[in-house]
Amino acid sequence: MPHVLVVDDEPNILLSLEFLMQQAGFNVTTAADAEQALVQIDEHCPDLLLLDISLPGMSGFDLLERLRSTESTRQLPVMMLTAHGREVEKEKGLALGANDYVTKPFSTRELVTRVQALLANQQQGG
Amino acid sequence: MPSRQNLLGLWLLLTGLSLMFGLVMLLWLESQWQPSADIRPLLWVLGLAPALLCASVGWMLERRLFRPLRQFQVLLARLVASPDAQGDYPLDGWLHALQPDLDHIRDGWRQDRMQISAAQAQGARKADRIRQELEALLQVLDVPLLICDRHQRILLFNPAAANMFREQPALGLGRPLSQLLPHPGLLDAFQHLSANGAPQQLLLPGKQHWLRCQLRHLGAAHGGVLVTLQDTTAALEHDQRWRRTLAQLLPRLRGHCGSLNSATEALLQVTDNPDLKQRLEHAVEQESQALAVEVEQLTRLVEAHQLSQSLLEETWSNDLCSALKAQLNLQHIRLTPVGIPVWMRVDGPALLALLQLLIQRLNELQPVSEIELEVLLGNRRVYLDLGWSGDPVSEQQLQQWRALPLFDEPLSPRIEDVLEQHGADLWSLPPSASGQPARLRLPLPASQRGVQPLPRLEPRPEFHDFSIADLPAPSRNLANVPLQQLEMVVFDTETTGLDLRRGDRIISLAACRIMNDRLLADDTFDQRVNPQRPIPSDSTAIHGLTDADVAQSPPIEVVLPRFRQYVGNGILVAHNAAFDRLALQLAETGEQSQFTMPVLDTLLLSRALDPELEGHGLDALAERFELRFPPGTRHTALGDARVTAELLLVLLPRLANRGVRTLQDALALQAQIEKRTPQ
Repeated sequence: MPHVLVVDDEPNILLSLEFLMQQAGFNVTTAADAEQALVQIDEHCPDLLLLDISLPGMSGFDLLERLRSTESTRQLPVMMLTAHGREVEKEKGLALGANDYVTKPFSTRELVTRVQALLANQQQGG
Repeated sequence: MPSRQNLLGLWLLLTGLSLMFGLVMLLWLESQWQPSADIRPLLWVLGLAPALLCASVGWMLERRLFRPLRQFQVLLARLVASPDAQGDYPLDGWLHALQPDLDHIRDGWRQDRMQISAAQAQGARKADRIRQELEALLQVLDVPLLICDRHQRILLFNPAAANMFREQPALGLGRPLSQLLPHPGLLDAFQHLSANGAPQQLLLPGKQHWLRCQLRHLGAAHGGVLVTLQDTTAALEHDQRWRRTLAQLLPRLRGHCGSLNSATEALLQVTDNPDLKQRLEHAVEQESQALAVEVEQLTRLVEAHQLSQSLLEETWSNDLCSALKAQLNLQHIRLTPVGIPVWMRVDGPALLALLQLLIQRLNELQPVSEIELEVLLGNRRVYLDLGWSGDPVSEQQLQQWRALPLFDEPLSPRIEDVLEQHGADLWSLPPSASGQPARLRLPLPASQRGVQPLPRLEPRPEFHDFSIADLPAPSRNLANVPLQQLEMVVFDTETTGLDLRRGDRIISLAACRIMNDRLLADDTFDQRVNPQRPIPSDSTAIHGLTDADVAQSPPIEVVLPRFRQYVGNGILVAHNAAFDRLALQLAETGEQSQFTMPVLDTLLLSRALDPELEGHGLDALAERFELRFPPGTRHTALGDARVTAELLLVLLPRLANRGVRTLQDALALQAQIEKRTPQ
């Protein structure tokens, strides 16, 4: 069962996503900010990271940058979640090394499809 | 030419030598030859002949040639020194023949000089006129602008620029631009400015202000550069405030939407976990409430943006009227602006299109050939009334009109959009008992022009030094004209003081016209007058006019005939008319400035109507009848005249109710009151 770490500061979306991703057959853990996420990744690196951009303290972009500069997490698939709909932010996220990008609000079905596609892609590549 | 002394010396020398030689020769011949008595005289004649010849040739040369040459020299010197001096004397001697040519040359030269100086004067006048036009243009132009020379020194700036840099001592003629605007980018742009007049734009950041600057070459002949500036701080701030708020709001909206979406999906899938179900339900509730709050904020933001009134501009109601008048003339509808014109804050072109459309629809509904446009000043609003003699428009009809687009274009705003833009509405008023016709009323934003109110002053004392009842009686025809049909010119004067008989003079004279019981808004006379004596400071405290304000104005001798012409066939009206009428009388100079028409006095008429009430001064009456002075117009001749006119229009129906209907009735009534007033 693939392990997905969801990082978002909104407890309601964490609650829903956790349940929905579990229903879709993923092993889900959650973190409310970047620091918590780093601790969890250190302990047990997930197969995929769902990362919100606007986090309190260290932002999603900062976390992404740090992951990409660390050898062990350089290849970790990251899907950005954001409430900003601007095209430039999508570009920035992809430039910093995100593998995909989803704008809120999104449908879970689409999210799951894209997460599965990303994982499949990763396995093929890996 | 050799000097006269030299010539004289040479002549005397030659003559002397000739004489000596002749005498020596004679003496020698006498001694050698001893001529007979017959020959001796001949010998003497021959002996003295060279000397005589020399003397006479010299004398003749002096008279015929050298003296005229010297005169010619003097003449030339005079001509050069003072070309236009008269008293030329003629050439004589052998130079006499040159006289016609000399005259021709001299006259031609003088004529050329006159033409040159006339052309110079004309050129100077033209340059002066252009300068005055340019100055006037610069005065009214609200775009701050500077003109700099090729060395980037300020040659000229307009009042808008002075206002923009009012706290900066670096703005001054001859000062370098780099001190005023120390931006390296500006100086660089200055140096690389295209000579063909193409403008260059730059944004100059500052601590408190951001300036948008445009540079343009004034042409090779001038060599200078025109710098126009625009303070974009407010616009940028306004724009940024709106964008910033929106930029913060939208992600929050998206976030809540996303949470709500996911929670709903999760809720639909959860079946056997009551605790999770409850938590998800709570999440849905929370997110929906948060979403409602954000949507409410968004609504307010959009509304605030719409009502930011950035397109609304200070507009003089008469300007709007004349624009509308011109448009309606094409449709053969006559527009009469009535009442006191005021400043209002509107989107002029949009409002114009709206009024045009309304009148067009009204005309289709019920043909109207005459429309009255009256602007009334309310507390914070201006009421724009369209009046016509006919039926009022129903609310149902107005509802339909609201949805009409202003133009036949897909994206054209509708009437209700323009109303909303002005925070306005539109409603119908039926004809009133007081004679007001059916109307459509639009409440619009009043001007935000802050005019400092003048200190409250004692009203001008009532004036009994002069009796308006002593004026010539009107002709029988005029006397019997109903007051409502009279053409009346309501006037007011401002003076250097109250003692007219001891030399106080008019400094401002203004009037407006009432026709058919309506005050015409755009028919006025307003002229400042040079009193040709200083204005005392306590008088300036009342009307605000100083010596400098009237220095360029014409004297009363010029103004009065013009005013007489303006009055035409009307009768005169004033408040406390004895004072203003006496001021006119004392200034009358000839037939063209005689005012023999009857005068109505609103002070006396008001006193006749309400003898039991105290206070018939203009301020008291304006307050009593809710007549408003637009800001800053009290104690201006035109402002007072207009309110006096409105006052008369309020008094006329009340007079009619008491049987005072014709001019004769009104004159008799006021004469009666005047007699009763203690002298």
